[in-house]
Amino acid sequence: MKILSAILTLAFLAGGLGFAADSSKIVADGSTTVGPIAKAFAEFYMKQNPGVNITVSESGSGNGAKSLVNKSCDVATMSRLLKLNEYEAAVHSEILPVVHVVALDGIAMIVHPSNPVAKLSMAQVKDIYLGKIRNWSQLGGPNAPIVIISRDTNSGTYETFEGKVMKGEKIAKNCEYVGSNGAIRQRVQSTTSALGYVGIGFLDSTVKALPIDNVIPSAETVKNGSYPIARPLYMVTNDYPKMGSHLYRYINLYLSKKGQTMIEEIGFIPVTSY
Amino acid sequence: MDLQARKLFDRSLTSISIMAVVLMSLALLVLLAPIFSRGLGAFFFRGTSEHRRLALEQFNRGNAQAVASEIRIVGAARRPVYEMLSAFEDELDGMDSTRRQGYRAQLKEIKSLLRELLGPLPGEMEAVMLRQQYGQTRWDRARVKLKAILYSEEWDYSDTRSMGKKVLRSRQKIFAGTRLDPMFPYMENNLSRMLRPRFTFYWRFLTDLSLDSHFFGGIWPEILGTIYLTLGAMLLAIPFGIIAAIYLSEFAAGGRLVSLLRVCISTLAGVPSIVFGLFGLAFFINTLHLSSSKSVLAGSATLALLILPTIIRASEEALKAVPHTYKEAALSLGASPLRMVLTVLLPAALPGILTGIIISMGRAAGETAPIIFTAAVSVGQPLKLWETISQPTPALPWNIYNLATEHQAVDEIRHVQFGMVLTLVLLVLLLNLAAILIRARISKKMRG
Repeated sequence: MKILSAILTLAFLAGGLGFAADSSKIVADGSTTVGPIAKAFAEFYMKQNPGVNITVSESGSGNGAKSLVNKSCDVATMSRLLKLNEYEAAVHSEILPVVHVVALDGIAMIVHPSNPVAKLSMAQVKDIYLGKIRNWSQLGGPNAPIVIISRDTNSGTYETFEGKVMKGEKIAKNCEYVGSNGAIRQRVQSTTSALGYVGIGFLDSTVKALPIDNVIPSAETVKNGSYPIARPLYMVTNDYPKMGSHLYRYINLYLSKKGQTMIEEIGFIPVTSY
Repeated sequence: MDLQARKLFDRSLTSISIMAVVLMSLALLVLLAPIFSRGLGAFFFRGTSEHRRLALEQFNRGNAQAVASEIRIVGAARRPVYEMLSAFEDELDGMDSTRRQGYRAQLKEIKSLLRELLGPLPGEMEAVMLRQQYGQTRWDRARVKLKAILYSEEWDYSDTRSMGKKVLRSRQKIFAGTRLDPMFPYMENNLSRMLRPRFTFYWRFLTDLSLDSHFFGGIWPEILGTIYLTLGAMLLAIPFGIIAAIYLSEFAAGGRLVSLLRVCISTLAGVPSIVFGLFGLAFFINTLHLSSSKSVLAGSATLALLILPTIIRASEEALKAVPHTYKEAALSLGASPLRMVLTVLLPAALPGILTGIIISMGRAAGETAPIIFTAAVSVGQPLKLWETISQPTPALPWNIYNLATEHQAVDEIRHVQFGMVLTLVLLVLLLNLAAILIRARISKKMRG
C-alpha cells in the first residue's frame, strides 16, 4: 500500500511538473520528405534555445494530418495540402489549419545508374505506372521488365504523383509500395530494372534522375515551373502560432537567411521572392 | 528391439543433437559476428583531424592548442590542392568554350567531393548545416571519398541488349595536361597528411547527443529513451501481471469464465506487435488522452500490454509450482489467505516470476512496432524523468529502422546504425544479466 501511494504521489508530482514545462515542447509529425528540413530546423533551434525540446517524427503526410486533427502534434509536416475531408475533420475538432509553405520540391523519377534509358516523357511515365508499358525495351532500353515502385498511399509524395502524373487513374496492380523516400531510393539502388520517384533532396550519386519531357529536375527548373512534377512543402499549425512563441520562431525559420541556406544545403529549394 | 538396433538408435540421436547444437551456435555466430565487428566500428576507428576539430568546436573537448596547431599542419598539407584548383580555374577561363564545357561538370563534381572530404573550400561562405562545415571525420569514409575523387564512376551503355556496366575512369586522365593533373597523385599520396588519421576510441558515442541528425555525435537520447520505455513498461506490467497470476492460480474458481480468461491471455500473447501499437495510439492517446502527443508514458503502457501475457503465464506457473504443504502450513497456523500469499507463496515463487520478467524485459527493449505510433520520434532531446509523462523520445529500435530506411544519407552513416544495433544488443544483454544475478541471489537466500 505504502509503495503504491508513493508511486501515485510521484506520478502526480511528475505530471504537474511535466505540464508546467509543456510550453517549451514542440512536436512535429508527418512527411518523410519534409523530415530532413524539420529535423535540421529542430536541431538548429534547440542549439540556440537550450531547454526547448523539439521532436520530429517521419511517418507520412497522412499521419501528420491525422495527428494535427487529433491534437497530438503542434506541427504537421506535409508534402501535400490537407484534403477536403481532413479540413472538415479539423474544423469538427475545432482546429484551424494554417499552412506555411517552407520550401519547394520536385519529384524526380529515378532508375538504377546502369539503366541506359536517358529520358522519359510524362505520358510514358503514366503508361508505365498504368501497366501499359511493361518492359524497358519499349523505351529503347534492354529487355528487362520494369519494376515499378511507389510510395504508400499515406504519403504526400504519392498524392502529388497521383494528381500530377496519373491524373487520378489507378496505378497498376504489380506496383510495389514502400514507406519512405529513403526506402524507394534503396529499392532502386538494389534493383537494376526498377523505376521509382523521390523528393529532389533525396537524390544522390547512387541513383539516376531522368529528365521528364527533356527537363532535368533541379532547383532552377522547379522554381521556374518548367519541371512538370513539382510541389511546395508545407508545415501546418493549428491557428497561426502566437507571435514570439517558440513555435512561431521555429516555423518561421524558413524565412531567415540561415533557414534558407539550410534548405538549400539539404537539397530542397527555398521559397524566395528574388 | 535387439541391442544392436537400440545402440544405433541411441548413437544417431546423440549425433543429431550434437549437430543441432553446432548449427545453433553457427547461426548465432553468423548473426552476432557482424553485429559486433561492425558495431564496434562506431566506437573504435581511425579518427581524422576533422574529428578532433568537431570534438573541440561542438563538444568543447580536447586540447584547443593542439587542435589549432594540427589545423595549421593539415592546412599546409592541403594548400597545394587548393592552389592547383584555383590555378586550373584561371586556366579554364583562357580555354575555348567547347573544351571548357567538357571540364565544367567534372570540376563541379570534384569541388563538391573535395568539400565532403576536407570541409569547406577556402574563401567559401560559412555553411549552416554541420555536415557541410566538416570534412570526413573517419578515415574509412575518407578513403571512399578519395576514390571518388580519383576515379569518376561512369556507365557503359554500348551493349544495348543488357544493362550498362560500371566503368571507373581515372580523372587524372580526363584532366591530363592541365594544371589540375598533378592534384590527383598529390591527393593519393598525401591524404594521410591532410587528415592525420589517428586511432580513436570514441566511447562518448554512448553519451553524446546526435549532431545534424546522426551525421556526427552519439546516441544518448536513444539509449535513455529505450531505458525509460523498458523500465516504464516493467513498472506498469509487473504489478498487474503478478496480481492477475495470483488471482488465476489461487482465488479463481475453475469455472468456464476462468478458462475463457486463460484462453484470452494466451491469445493476447500471440497478437502481432503492430496491432498493439495501433491500439496504443487509438486507446491511450486518442481516447484516454494520457498525454497530448506521443509520449514515453503512452509507449510504456503499450509495451506493458504487450508483455503482460508473458508475465502472467510465467508467474502463474511459478505460483502453481510452490508445494501445497507451504500453503497448508501457513493457513493452518491461522494466516489469512492474503497474508499467506504475500509472506509464503510469493517469496517461494519469486525466482520463477523473475524468469518471466527477464524474458519480457528483453522483448520490451527491442520492440519497434508498438512504439512507432505511441512514443518514438527520429529527433529529440534526452528527456528528464518528469518529462516522460508528456513527451516522446527517440529510442534505439525505432531509430535503427529510421536510419536504415528513411534517413537522407543512409550510406554515409552506416557506422552509426551498426553502433546502435550493437548498443541495443548489449543493453538487452546487460538488463538480462542484472535480472539473472538478482534472481540467483534471491534463490540462494531462499534455500537458506
